[in-house]
Amino acid sequence: MIEVNERIEVSSTPQSVWAILSDPTAVVECVEGAELGEKLEDGSFDAKMAVKFGPAKVSFAANVMVNYDEANKSGSVTARGRDKISGTKFKTDMQFKVEGQDAVAQSAIPIKAECELTGRLAHLIESGANLVIKRMTASFAEQLAERCGGTKA
Amino acid sequence: MKVYERLSQAFKAEGTTHVFGMMGDGNMYWQYANQKNGIKMHEVRHEGVGMGMADGWARASRTPGVCTATCGPGTTQLATAFVTAARASSPLVAFCGEYPVSDDEYTQALDQSAFAHGCEAAFVRMGTPQDADEAVRKAFYIARTQSRPVLLSVPLDLQQKEWEDDEPYMPSTAIIPKRTVAPNDAAIKQAADMLERAKRPVIVMGRGAMWSGAGDEIRALAQRSGALLATTLQAKNFLGDDEYHIGISGTYATKTAMQLLSDSDVVVAVGASLNRYTTHEGLLYPEAKFIHIDPKAHVMLSRGKGADHYVQSDGKAGIAALNAELTKRNFKQMGYRTGEVKERLANAWEDRQEYKLEEGTLDPRPMCNMLDEMVPSNVSLFAGSGCTAGFTNILFRKSRPMCMPGHFFGCIGQMMPAAVGAVISSGNKPAILMDGDASTMMHIGDFDTMVRYNVPLLIFCMNNQCLGAEYYKLDAHNMQVETSCIATPDLGAVARAFGGRGALCRTIDEVKKVTQEWLANPGPMLVDVRVSRSVITLPYRRIHYGEDV
Repeated sequence: MIEVNERIEVSSTPQSVWAILSDPTAVVECVEGAELGEKLEDGSFDAKMAVKFGPAKVSFAANVMVNYDEANKSGSVTARGRDKISGTKFKTDMQFKVEGQDAVAQSAIPIKAECELTGRLAHLIESGANLVIKRMTASFAEQLAERCGGTKA
Repeated sequence: MKVYERLSQAFKAEGTTHVFGMMGDGNMYWQYANQKNGIKMHEVRHEGVGMGMADGWARASRTPGVCTATCGPGTTQLATAFVTAARASSPLVAFCGEYPVSDDEYTQALDQSAFAHGCEAAFVRMGTPQDADEAVRKAFYIARTQSRPVLLSVPLDLQQKEWEDDEPYMPSTAIIPKRTVAPNDAAIKQAADMLERAKRPVIVMGRGAMWSGAGDEIRALAQRSGALLATTLQAKNFLGDDEYHIGISGTYATKTAMQLLSDSDVVVAVGASLNRYTTHEGLLYPEAKFIHIDPKAHVMLSRGKGADHYVQSDGKAGIAALNAELTKRNFKQMGYRTGEVKERLANAWEDRQEYKLEEGTLDPRPMCNMLDEMVPSNVSLFAGSGCTAGFTNILFRKSRPMCMPGHFFGCIGQMMPAAVGAVISSGNKPAILMDGDASTMMHIGDFDTMVRYNVPLLIFCMNNQCLGAEYYKLDAHNMQVETSCIATPDLGAVARAFGGRGALCRTIDEVKKVTQEWLANPGPMLVDVRVSRSVITLPYRRIHYGEDV
């Protein structure tokens, strides 16, 4: 189980950040290698995600469900995916929240996530996957900050 | 004649010229008879090493290796070597004594059948004195036809019975037909159709390609179809002089190789099991169709899959038929064989990452490059399977009589025995072994065996004073790496104490000097090379640190 416990700080107001985070398409655009597909009847989305573990690329077909709590500016993302070639599966549950004072261009986004990789590749890539996911989280923070019109604090 | 004497005659008739092992009361009379029959005994210091040597003999010569151990505790010492030999598909017969049938409470009693099965080996027991011939024949028959190790279990008391039959022994080879598995025409035509449609083919050669002597046919097919050549780990450096050879397909591939392979559209696998490591769980070849040529009825690939097209055939016969069919069709293309690809391959093995070395240590990468360059191509190469294999298996690129990596059971310590057995099978032709310190220490007692039999093997112990695989895993998990650190003595001095040659080197110049000395006068030698822990192999940088290298 790979655990992510990050706090992203950006120089944008909580409203601007929430505007991005409450749009699944915009969020996915901040994730390198991810692409959102059709919205399904249950409210979830088809998605694709390509992750490089070393020089080898793993292409996951995924299903993503996003739930928002607008009043608290918080949400959760549940994603399940599978790579057909290697048989690798992943499962992620993530919670996030936007913190900050209204109209102040300073927000924090605490993110807690648990990601589980299963299949034979998971054993092969071992601890490297942990670092890859941490790097992806950092990249997400950069992209989000840029999209919010601010910088990563 | 006693049964043990007949058993010895039977082994001799099966072609046994060398036996590796340790004497005990369960095999001593048989060994005595072997000596009288002109079979050379290599007495080792650990039974498992004897089996490892027989395994190396079998891998190198493709004839059954023979080892021996006494009953019970002598036999259980064979465990790791047995599984390794089974995973290596080595034809091998282990003559093991067994407790007397008349004494169930014998101290050394062991259910050797259960032991053999647990070690993935076949089991043959001589149940009565009259069965001596049949038991030996059956053991060699299984070893030869199923290419696997066999435990031949012979009760002590039955060995002492009288053998009364005067019929000559009939070896297993007399009943095994010699046939080459020829390919089916329709299967070859379908393979040719697939290759004609391919734009970027790759030929992956396994040990079956080497053993069948398919080299020239593979070169011709590669030139005709514009294919890149790659090997499995076990066929390392086969046809390595081809200018479009990309090295190993799999965990030990370079980044350039991985990038090129990921664009391929057809893979022709010859005598290769195409296991999960060779295809990197399939990720090396995301778009490719597979043509699989192998003499077995069928080979199931990783994750229970099969190739897109399977051709049951001997490697050489299958590729020759494919060449003939493509010649008939006037098919020839550039494929991957372009100037641009050649240019990319020219720098593929360079690793420019710089590391700060600990004082008194050297960078193993330039040392491997230097040794590959300076050790002539008629000297064989053996590679251990620990962390240092990540240097050896990538950086040694020269074709040699034998390039034999380990890894069959993922265990350390098994390559020195295998290298000794393989060198002896070659008629004592000089060879080098690249291994780690934990592996070297595991069986260092048998450096004495190398000395006693004057085996011309030069062991380079890449000594980072730790259990390397665990060191980097602990580091990647931010745990105390010191947990995995174990100091060794000066192994060069240890080698000298055993009566061999030895040296301790901390610089590349020192390594160069001792190598030159050994090349001028090969013999048993151990060089303790102190290597830096800072320098990390490419596979570990990918696996443990997630680097795109």
